[in-house]
Amino acid sequence: LTREQVRNLIRAEILAAKQGRVIDMEISLFDAAATGFLNLLHLKVFLAMLVGVSIGTFTAVAPQGLGMPLVYAIALPIVIKWEPITGIALLIGASSVSAICAAYLPILFGIPGGSGSQATVLDGYPMGKRGEGRRALGASFMAGGMGSLIGTFTLVLAIPVTRPLIYLMGSPELFVVMLWGLSMVAVLAGRRPIKGLIAAAFGLLLATVGQQAQSGVMRFVFDQPYLLDGISISIIALAMFGIPSALDLALTKLGVEQQPVPLKGSLFDGVKDTLREWWLVVRCSFVGVWVGIVPGLGSQVVDWLAYGHAAQTSKSPKNFGKGDVRGVIAPESANDAKDGGDLITTLLMGFPQGVVTALFIVALLAWGYLPGPEMLKKNPEVIFSVVWLQGISGIVGTLVGFVLAAQLAKLAEVRYTFMVPLMFIFILMGAFSVNRDPIDLLVVITFGILGYFMRRFAYPRPAMILGLVLGDLMEKYLYRSMASYGFTWLSRPAVIVLLILAAASFIFTVRGRLKSHEEGPASLGGAMARTADEN
Amino acid sequence: MKINFTFFFLVVFLIAAWAGWGWPNIAKIMPVYVAAIPGFILVSVQLYREATGWEARRGGSAGGIDMDEVYDVQLDKKTELRRTVAFFSWFIGGAIGIWLLGIVIALPLLVFLYALIEGREKWITSVIMAACTYLLIWGLFEYMLESRWPAGLLFS
Repeated sequence: LTREQVRNLIRAEILAAKQGRVIDMEISLFDAAATGFLNLLHLKVFLAMLVGVSIGTFTAVAPQGLGMPLVYAIALPIVIKWEPITGIALLIGASSVSAICAAYLPILFGIPGGSGSQATVLDGYPMGKRGEGRRALGASFMAGGMGSLIGTFTLVLAIPVTRPLIYLMGSPELFVVMLWGLSMVAVLAGRRPIKGLIAAAFGLLLATVGQQAQSGVMRFVFDQPYLLDGISISIIALAMFGIPSALDLALTKLGVEQQPVPLKGSLFDGVKDTLREWWLVVRCSFVGVWVGIVPGLGSQVVDWLAYGHAAQTSKSPKNFGKGDVRGVIAPESANDAKDGGDLITTLLMGFPQGVVTALFIVALLAWGYLPGPEMLKKNPEVIFSVVWLQGISGIVGTLVGFVLAAQLAKLAEVRYTFMVPLMFIFILMGAFSVNRDPIDLLVVITFGILGYFMRRFAYPRPAMILGLVLGDLMEKYLYRSMASYGFTWLSRPAVIVLLILAAASFIFTVRGRLKSHEEGPASLGGAMARTADEN
Repeated sequence: MKINFTFFFLVVFLIAAWAGWGWPNIAKIMPVYVAAIPGFILVSVQLYREATGWEARRGGSAGGIDMDEVYDVQLDKKTELRRTVAFFSWFIGGAIGIWLLGIVIALPLLVFLYALIEGREKWITSVIMAACTYLLIWGLFEYMLESRWPAGLLFS
C-alpha cells in the first residue's frame, strides 16, 4: 500500500466510524504477502533481525540456563517501543535461530539443550566423541534449516485455508477460542495440574487489575494511581523469568564444567547426510508442525516424537543411540519446523502454545494487533511479515551456524561474572524503559521475588503468564457476547463445536499427562536422562 | 515451608474475593467468579494435599516432564541463603541506584562493583565491563536513539 492509499483508508475508516458503519479493510492475500515483504526492506528491520539472530545464537549456545522465554521477557519492554516490524524482526530472528543452533550443547558437551533439542544428545554426543562433531553439527544445521523452511511453508499454506473461517467468528466464538487457549494450562502445568491452575487463576486475577473499560470500576487499584492502567505484562514477564534465571547463575556460579569434544570432521559431510535423508527430514518436519499446531502436545516432546519415529522406521534401529546421524537429523528438523506450527495457532487462532508464543502475543497486543481471526482480517500483511522473517531468519541462522561453528563453541564457556551483570543491565533497563517510572523497578523486584518462589515451590510460571495474557481478551469477548446476545450465544453452532474441541483437547491432555505421570520415570524425560548418563 | 507459599495464594484469592464482592456483576465475573473463587478452592485442595502428604505418596517429583524449569540448585542451605540474599541485595541496590543517580550512572557503577566484589574480576576487567555498559546505555540509547533517560533524584 502506498502512503496515499493508507491515508485514504484511515480517512474512510474515520468517516465510517462517524457514520456508525464498519468498513472492510481487507486486502488480497497476494497484496498482503507483497506488502509483508516490502515492510522488511528497511535497514533497521534487517539490523534488528541480525541482533535477534545474535541473541538467539548466544542463548542457544550459552549453557547457563538461558532460554527463549528469558530472551523474550528481557526484550519485550524494549521492543514494544519500536515500530512493530522492527520489534517482530528481533523476536522472530532470536527464536528462529535459537532452535537451529540448539544442537551445540548436546553435540559438543553432551548436555541436553533447551526443550526441543534434548534427543539430539543421544546420537550427537557419541558422534562428537568419535571425531565427527562437525559432521553432526552440519547435519543439525542443515536439517534445522530445512525444517524451518518446511514449517514456514506450512504456515503460508495455512493462511488461505484459515481465512474463510474467520467469517464464522464473532465475539462468542473468539471467547471460546480464548477459553481453548486457556485449556493449554493443562499442558503448561506439566506434572502439577493443581498448581498450574492456581497459577493460571492468579494470572487471570492480575489481568483484571486497573480500571475496567466496560464499567469504569476500579479493580484492585487500592487508591494507587500507578495501578489504574493495570500492571504491564512485559514487566511481569521480565521479572518472573529474568530474575530467577540470573539468580540461578549467581547461586551456582558455573559455566560449563566439562571440556567440549574436539571439533573434528567436515560440516559438509553432515550436509550430504541430510540431503541423502531428505525424506526423513520432510517426515520429521511435519511431525514438528503437527506438534506445533495440536493443542496439548507441548514443545517438550517434539524431538522425542521425531526421534522415535526415525528409530521405528529405520532398517537399522540398533545404530540409534550409538552415533547415528539420523538421530541428529530427525529431532533437529522437527524442532525447527515446530516454530511454523506454533505460529499457525498463535497468529491465526490467537492462542499461544507456550511461554514464548504467549509473550509474542503480549508484544503483538502492545503494538495494537489482536492475534487470531481479527489480525488475519485486518493485518494480514503483518502476518506475512512474520512468515517472511521466519523463513529468512531460518536461512540466516543456518548460515551463521556453518560459518561460525568453531567460534560459537567458545561462547559456551562464558563466565557467570559476565553473565549476571549483563542480565542485571537488561532486566533493570528493560523494566525502567517501559514508563521511566521508578515504581516499575519496585514492581520488577516484587515479581522477581514472586517468580523465584514460584519456581522454588514448583508453581508453573508459564501457566500464570498464559492466564495473564488471555485474561483481558477473554473478559472483553465475554462482555461483548453477553451484551450482544445475552446467554443465547452459548447456543451458536460454532460456539458449541469450539467448546467441544476445547473440552476434548483439555481432557485428552490431562489424561495423557496423568498416564505419563503414572508411568513415572519411564517417560521420555527419564529415558533421556538414562541415555545421557550412559553416554 | 512449601505450605507457607501456598498460603500466599490463599491470602491473595481471599483478598480478591473480598475486595471484589461489592462490584457490579459485569466487573466481578472475571476476577471474582472465574479467578478468585475457583482459585481459593484449588488452593484449599492443594493445602489438603500438602498437609496429608498426598503428593509424596503419589510419587512426588519422580518422572514425567516439567513445562517450567525445575529448581535443582544443590547447595547447602546456608550458602544458598547467603548467595540469594547477596543477589537480591545487588539487584535492589541497582534499582535504588537508578532511582537516586539515574540509569546512566547507576548501571555502569553496579556492573563495576559486582564484577570487582562479587565476581572477583581484575580492576581492569571490571572497568572495561563498566565502560561497555556506559557505552551501551549512553551511546546506544541517548546518542544514537536519542532516547533521554531521566536524571536521578539527586540530580533532578
